[in-house]
Amino acid sequence: MTALIMDLRRNRLLASYVIVGTLFLILVIAGGLLSDRFLTWRNFSNLFQQLIVLGMVSLGQTFVVLMGGIDLAVGALVGALTVFLASFLEWRPDMLWLAIPLSAIIATAIGALNGLMIVVLRVHALIVTLGMGSIIFGATLMYRREPGGSVPNAFADFAYANVGNIPISAIVLVAIFALAGLWLQRTRSGRDIYFAGGDPEAARLNGVHVNKVIILAYAISGLCAAGAAIFLTARTGVGDPRIGAALTLQSITPVVVGGTILAGGRGGVLGTFLGVLLVTTLNNLLNFVNVSSYYQWVIQGLIIIIAVAFNTSGKRR
Amino acid sequence: MSSSVIELSQIVKEYPGVRPLDRVDFAVRPGEIHALLGENGAGKSTLIRVMGGAVAPNSGSITYLGKSVSWRSPKEARTAGIHVIYQELALFPELSVAENILVDAQPTRFGLISGRARHALAAAALKQLGVTIPTHAKVDELPLADQQMVEIAKALVGQTKLLILDEPTAVITGREVDLLFENMRRLRSEGVGIVYVSHRLEEIAEIADRVTILKDGQVVATSPVAALTREAMITKMVGRRLEQVYPARLQAPAQTADVLTVRNLEAGPRVRDVSFSVKAGEIVGLAGMVGSGRTEVAEAIFGTREVKQGSIALEGKPFSKIDPGAAIRFGLGFLTENRKDEGLFLGLPISANIVAPDLGSVTRRGLIDRATERETAMRQMKEFAVAAPSSEVKVGNLSGGNQQKVLFSRWSRIANRLLILDEPTRGVDIGAKVEIYRIIRRLADSGIGVLLISSELQEVVGMSDRVYVMSQGQIVGEIQGEAISEEAIMDLAVRSMDRSRLSVAGGAELVS
Repeated sequence: MTALIMDLRRNRLLASYVIVGTLFLILVIAGGLLSDRFLTWRNFSNLFQQLIVLGMVSLGQTFVVLMGGIDLAVGALVGALTVFLASFLEWRPDMLWLAIPLSAIIATAIGALNGLMIVVLRVHALIVTLGMGSIIFGATLMYRREPGGSVPNAFADFAYANVGNIPISAIVLVAIFALAGLWLQRTRSGRDIYFAGGDPEAARLNGVHVNKVIILAYAISGLCAAGAAIFLTARTGVGDPRIGAALTLQSITPVVVGGTILAGGRGGVLGTFLGVLLVTTLNNLLNFVNVSSYYQWVIQGLIIIIAVAFNTSGKRR
Repeated sequence: MSSSVIELSQIVKEYPGVRPLDRVDFAVRPGEIHALLGENGAGKSTLIRVMGGAVAPNSGSITYLGKSVSWRSPKEARTAGIHVIYQELALFPELSVAENILVDAQPTRFGLISGRARHALAAAALKQLGVTIPTHAKVDELPLADQQMVEIAKALVGQTKLLILDEPTAVITGREVDLLFENMRRLRSEGVGIVYVSHRLEEIAEIADRVTILKDGQVVATSPVAALTREAMITKMVGRRLEQVYPARLQAPAQTADVLTVRNLEAGPRVRDVSFSVKAGEIVGLAGMVGSGRTEVAEAIFGTREVKQGSIALEGKPFSKIDPGAAIRFGLGFLTENRKDEGLFLGLPISANIVAPDLGSVTRRGLIDRATERETAMRQMKEFAVAAPSSEVKVGNLSGGNQQKVLFSRWSRIANRLLILDEPTRGVDIGAKVEIYRIIRRLADSGIGVLLISSELQEVVGMSDRVYVMSQGQIVGEIQGEAISEEAIMDLAVRSMDRSRLSVAGGAELVS
């Protein structure tokens, strides 16, 4: 036990995992006490269904934050992609096989463009992605003001499908997170992301092409946004330009809650996964006890500030 | 009952893995200049910070003006009359001289800051110092020496009982040093206690009354300055005799082929015309003042700085790519001057830092093999005596000397042809220094060419088989073997500067 405490004091990342895990348990127990329908398989199955959208955008955000940046365009991008998918599929419901890769390519390209602008124009990531988000949002509204479009039934069925009792979307999410973790920890390009985020100048002197790494990270964030949008469109059946409005901030919360520091170079996807689980469970519980969604905004804001404060406090000395 | 301005007793300061202050006793009497001496990393800065309230000690007691105190903030110490002038000046570059001088004593009239009173007070303080600096000028626009005077003027406002100066003469010269000393003597005669930190032993003999020598966080001596010779001070400071510090140099000039040949290199404003060479197995020193362009030469060779003109050849083959990756593949290593900003990933473990430039060597089928990575790291750590419990400790938690050894562990794997070292022992203690010197010599003996850039003349003299002296972007001379001495290097560096000044004054171009 004392060994564990020593480890926690030394390893902030591990500490984050333990804290997030504990909070998750507390939430589950509280939920069980507050409502007899909370601790049911039905509810958990429902909860796991919900993980994928936040999970995907947070995963993309993790890559960007680890590399030392931030992506404030994800929300608008997800909204635009749902509009693209629903409109395209309304026009050609038989071309699902094309719509999905196409949306992934568009999203990856827009992400890469974010990175390219940061590298070439040397404008701060905050401004580039915020500006890009605004451009995407405006352009999407020009095309479609209200939610609309449609998707084929098979697409919707897939998004809600289960293997046994477990939602396919949750399995997909776990698999993608595992792959992402393997990539970050065990490949050269993954390590390069940590290098570039930890200290770009040192990375350069170690032969890392920092600019390429920056573009790569934003491209991945775009690709992940596409993943979120695909499931979101399939579930809602429409394209909604505003659906991603809250998603940008929401995508950062699990990242910082999971112990990845905003300055970059430290953290990982496991923390983000736990963060996604925690945030989703919290929202689910708040719905159960009939707390208005306005409070959820307030709570989200509080969580992110506290999480970042916790992550930074250890660095000052 | 003590008659001291400040008295520190058994002060201990500890960080994880390091103990910069170990049961330190230190006292300053009113009206004395007390010099604080020690190698880099001996604990001088920490001691100053403890007195100034910027760092809280883990244990020990501070008595200030007869009362026991424990500062909660620098502000509290300042209000009580302790003024610290840190090496990195604490000025606001965008504000005026007057605003800076009165930064924590803004005079007010009717509750508003009075500009006129401020300028009058600031001017009075500067006059006391005997300097004329316009109080309306922005600090940014002043030369460094004047900025330092502004910093000292801050100490004159309010009742300073204890003035602490951290290497003030590092940035000023000649007349300004005299002026500073004059002011220090005046403050001394007014009963102010002064702590004076400097590396320059001559200055200490000139100005200080007593001296305390720190080594590895402990006080090794406190004595009147007159009672210690220069040699005695060095021996106490270093803890051993100097001859034992440096390994023997090559017996005869190296007869091997050039690893590096630089011809008429021009790169950026600070490298104007540089030609030199490094042979396999020799250590070549590159000496010169700070700002003479040494680091920029290294950057051009390593491919992080654009070459405007001239040629760089590695083993006879031209190389001029702006790509450190290509340099690394050739077998070139570069230990940068500023290891924290440019060298190490402090948040990552030792293992990841060691294998960073050639992850390929530990990658199997596209995946990094953690076992191989750890093994490689452990092997290197053992070879370079990195003191850490495991290869997975974060580099940020290591001491300066150990961080530097991690860098050696990293680059010695890659650099099998040429290793460039830029200030390799800055901020490491003497014990680690000696180890690092051994490592450098061992690497050279294994056939690697070493280019050693250093501001510490002693180090250049002690380590190099050959020395090039650089001044104002040019190589102004070369010294070999036994002829290498501090005097010979300084002579070349200074003479060339005088010459260039003459040539500017005479309007004629000097051909060297």
